[in-house]
Amino acid sequence: MNTLALVKYSLDVAEIRVDASARALRLRGVPERFGDTDKMVVEAAVRVKEESGGTVRLICFGPSEARAAAKDLLAMGADEATIIEDPFSGSLDPALVVRIIERAIHEYPQFDLIVAGFASDDGYSHQTAGRIAERLSLPFVSYVREVSVDDDGVTMVRDLEDCLETVRVGTPAVISIAEESLEPRRVTLLQAMKAQKIPITFWSLEDLALDAEEIDSARTTHEIERRAVVVQRRQQVLKRGSLAELADGFIDLLLEEEALK
Amino acid sequence: MILVWSERPDLLAELLGEARRLAVQTGTTVGAVSFNHVGDDELASLAASGADSVYVVEGSDASPDSLVGGLVATTEQMHPHVVLIGATKLGLDVAPRVVERTAAGYGAWAVSCELDEDAGEVSATCMIYAGAGLATYRFAAVPTVLTCAPGTFSAKQAAGRSATCQTLELPDLVSPTTVVERRPKVLDSDRLTTTKTVVDVGQGVRDERGIETCRALAVTLEAQLGCSRPIATTREWFAEWLGLSGAKIKPELCLTVGISGAIQHMIGIRNARVIAAINNDENAAIFLQADVGVVADLYEFLPVLIERMEARDVHPA
Repeated sequence: MNTLALVKYSLDVAEIRVDASARALRLRGVPERFGDTDKMVVEAAVRVKEESGGTVRLICFGPSEARAAAKDLLAMGADEATIIEDPFSGSLDPALVVRIIERAIHEYPQFDLIVAGFASDDGYSHQTAGRIAERLSLPFVSYVREVSVDDDGVTMVRDLEDCLETVRVGTPAVISIAEESLEPRRVTLLQAMKAQKIPITFWSLEDLALDAEEIDSARTTHEIERRAVVVQRRQQVLKRGSLAELADGFIDLLLEEEALK
Repeated sequence: MILVWSERPDLLAELLGEARRLAVQTGTTVGAVSFNHVGDDELASLAASGADSVYVVEGSDASPDSLVGGLVATTEQMHPHVVLIGATKLGLDVAPRVVERTAAGYGAWAVSCELDEDAGEVSATCMIYAGAGLATYRFAAVPTVLTCAPGTFSAKQAAGRSATCQTLELPDLVSPTTVVERRPKVLDSDRLTTTKTVVDVGQGVRDERGIETCRALAVTLEAQLGCSRPIATTREWFAEWLGLSGAKIKPELCLTVGISGAIQHMIGIRNARVIAAINNDENAAIFLQADVGVVADLYEFLPVLIERMEARDVHPA
């Protein structure tokens, strides 16, 4: 079964700091990476390949700096990777991002399964996988925890709020991988070295017969203002002392805060 | 019109509350979508919550595919300016697909919405970067679909209101997905939203011994135990979690144990009056977001804390 794995080079949101006086988010210097969800996406795709043969191709819309990190994902057992260079530096409306990814998918029509994350680590808006499925008119199965393939299709366990649901779907299909679902494998040194030799395909929008200006002018969502959520907490932290002293100090502070009586 | 749907009745009531506020402000109407039979009592309750009309979509098999089909059909018939959908896992699955099919604008994790129906303008403020920031957007596409997390808006009941009920036939739709089995989770998130004190368990709690100590602390504090999403999805201690995608609580005291302070989790507890933290990492982000904290190994510290609390006879305020 041939799989396209959609991954996103995302901001590490845990590293976003807030400038409280300006109520602004400090994004400069925040590291970018493929997140935990992306690794689970690759893990799922590689497991499908191990079960049924075929290939795994990673597709990423992002900066060319994603190259080195893409090699780490390839080392998990993927075969090929395509990075579509983002001339908008991550600012593009997700509605337009899915159109670009859709165009890239059309370049690889020999797929059986498209695997994406339930949400990206930074945008967290849960929309790319479902929108891609709609644009391609393919079945969509969300929040997948387990996946296994056979001759007739794919069986999956979906992690929903009130139940775990086992479903079957034929191929081709689009699936999204649930949070904390598939533990990504560790990569051996040999695998890492082999991955270094796999060339990564870089595409510009022009290569996909897309026009950056035209895409830019197709935006229908306009950001008017953005601000940080400023947390105002008292941050009284006890660090030193015996366990009993720390415990008494902690209780004293909770009494002062009137959280205890 | 503002169209509203959630599979969760409590969340539907919250969204209707916000839709009614907008409708009063702008002179528009509110429609609620239901995929189940709506009896007289339920119709009255939806009306009291803010609906002017209720659209009952028949022929749904409760699959996400048929919910998408039903919401698309309702949207195409009613031409709403705004569609509010509850940001549950199901809602977040369904909403972007409705958006794609109706060429709508989309804002995920909306916390407020403004509507100028005459000008056809919708703007909304949405959580970005998993809640670290807020961005306000103006949407040019019609309609605008917004997903809103549980607890964002308040449900309001007004007596003496009534609503019409209309049945919509869903076009024949066979889901390409076959359900083989459903294993229900035992859920009880009410215990978290109604309690005054929560002990919030994070990934620093690694094993049975750790969770047993947390249980003992919860007994001492007359508290309920909650947890972060990684704990809920990888251990079998709890089915529900606190956070952006889980329950959001407003207790008097939230005492976090081994919680790192990831933003997705903090969204669930940031309305607690007092946040206290126990973590062995002095640089953990939780200490910047807590009122009171102790840097200590929870395995060593909790038994001593419980002992001192009992010796000093302290109780939740």
